Amino acid sequence: MRLSLRLITLCAGLMITHASLAGELPQRWVSAGGALSEWVSVLGAESKLVGVDTTSQHPESLKSLPSVGYQRQLSAEGILSLKPDVLIGTEEMGPPPVLAQIRGAGVAVEMFSAQADLASLEGTLQHLGLLLGDEEQAAKVFKSYQQQLEQHQQQVKSAQAGHKAPGVLLLLGHAGGKPLIAGKDTAADWLLTQAGGHNLATHKGYKPFSVEALAGLNPEVLVFADRSLTGEAARQALMKENPILMSIRAAKNGRVYELDPTLLVGGLGPRLPASLKQLTTEFYPTVPASQ
Amino acid sequence: MKTLVKPRSLFIGLSALCLLSIWLSLALGPVSLPLFDTLRAALRLLGVPIQGDGLEQAELILGQIRLPRTLLGLAVGGVLALSGVAMQGLFRNPLADPGLVGVSSGAALGAAIAIVGGAAFGGLPEFIGPYLLSVCAFLGGLGVTALVYRLGRRNGQTNVAVMLLAGIALTALAGSAVGLFTYLADDATLRTLTFWNLGSLNGASYARLWPLLIVTVGVALWLPRRANALNALLLGESEANHLGIDVEGLKRELVFCTALGVGAAVAAAGMIGFIGLVVPHLVRLLAGPDHRVLLPASVLAGATLLLFADLVARLALAPAELPIGIVTAFLGAPFFLFLLLRGRH
Repeated sequence: MRLSLRLITLCAGLMITHASLAGELPQRWVSAGGALSEWVSVLGAESKLVGVDTTSQHPESLKSLPSVGYQRQLSAEGILSLKPDVLIGTEEMGPPPVLAQIRGAGVAVEMFSAQADLASLEGTLQHLGLLLGDEEQAAKVFKSYQQQLEQHQQQVKSAQAGHKAPGVLLLLGHAGGKPLIAGKDTAADWLLTQAGGHNLATHKGYKPFSVEALAGLNPEVLVFADRSLTGEAARQALMKENPILMSIRAAKNGRVYELDPTLLVGGLGPRLPASLKQLTTEFYPTVPASQ
Repeated sequence: MKTLVKPRSLFIGLSALCLLSIWLSLALGPVSLPLFDTLRAALRLLGVPIQGDGLEQAELILGQIRLPRTLLGLAVGGVLALSGVAMQGLFRNPLADPGLVGVSSGAALGAAIAIVGGAAFGGLPEFIGPYLLSVCAFLGGLGVTALVYRLGRRNGQTNVAVMLLAGIALTALAGSAVGLFTYLADDATLRTLTFWNLGSLNGASYARLWPLLIVTVGVALWLPRRANALNALLLGESEANHLGIDVEGLKRELVFCTALGVGAAVAAAGMIGFIGLVVPHLVRLLAGPDHRVLLPASVLAGATLLLFADLVARLALAPAELPIGIVTAFLGAPFFLFLLLRGRH
């Protein structure tokens, strides 16, 4: 199953690229997807980007590029005014009539998968490599990414051999106020599980929490992702706005950790392995990190 | 009765402004086209064979992006303002807006069902998928309005006060249902829902435009024929009856036209507030309450205001775009306040 999926993505990737190779390589890129913009930068083509959407926050230098707005709310004329050769984005990009208008104006619109799995990422990187005319490097980047994730899985395995997976909750908030708990079927849930944690939340999606339910779940580790504050300021705001959190195990034992909320959008990004490793050391403090 | 502006000069002024807004809406955008190119591209669109560098691009931007967008703006603005006049006439209350009979909340409910439910069902057939949202919004608006109208009827008579209260109750009901869908929605659908509630003329295409244009032209031709009846209704229901007006028939027509017009506008461009409530007011402040002037002038004023608002929406943050619902109120409310304060002296 896994193999055939990979084969399909590979074939699809090859077919698309042959079409685009027929012409010259695109020189002016607009990217409407956070993780995609990051990959373009990792592949050394940041200078080709002439516009990005609001989900493209990394690397920091992308913020100085013209913003084409939110990926689902693109404007045809706005993008055409940047004179791009290609518009890249995930399946979430839209609205569809606008994409049709952009295609009609002769700009290639390339869609990528937003699925958080390695097969999709391999397809994405191959596709990007072809569009950039440097497939070798794209393959190399994918290989090393895969290795890092595999290494990390070893780390999790060896940690779980000796310890029970800690019960974890992930709070997504805005300057501490009214945080949402990440439930099943979210990127956050996937991250926690990959890092070797056990997500205590059983609902689907991101939902506001009830204070009582939170105290009842009493997680060992609390991970928070704040959209407007970072570091100690975010931690303090969270505790100040939600004093009940002070009484749970995680806070008493000083096991409240931060996560960058931009990791939770748009598929597997290049910063993911490092964050996963970090989370795992936080989940299993007594187990030495591999390497 | 003394008015600020004579009807004749009002129509001349509004027509000039409307033409100006159409011209600006075609000539300005994030892609800067030289004036000469815009003109030549316009001629090419009309079938005059002109050759030139980059004209194909200009023709595409003009014909496929700006023209449908301008037509959409004209239709939406006009029909929303017209529905506002109809509702304020029906309820004989200047605070009435098309939302009062439930058409907006019904459309919002339809849209929420389409956005959240559509995402849950996934693979819809190709022919319905892209239009699901519009169709659901339209049917939702029509359905809730029909229910409000039905609730207001007793013994063959429509009680406007009961209808008003039924409208408020059903709006609250639909609002909580939308809230429930908001709760169930995931992050991505939530954002779609939020943006839909702010409206946009973005991505206008001819396929979506025709139904709205037909409805708008129909309503815009039909309602002004009822101007005298609406004037009589201003005196009161029984007075209008004594003057020989078929009041029940009139009410039915007003509700039907509003549901149809607002439903189609909302289906094409999402929720755009403010126009339906304030444009009729603006015109009344300028030219008095005579519906023979008010109805056609509101169409012009609504269309013009929406086009100007759209210009701001697409230029202010280019290459990104602002939702137009933000801009209509932002532009219109201060102007309205200005007229209101001036009128006091």
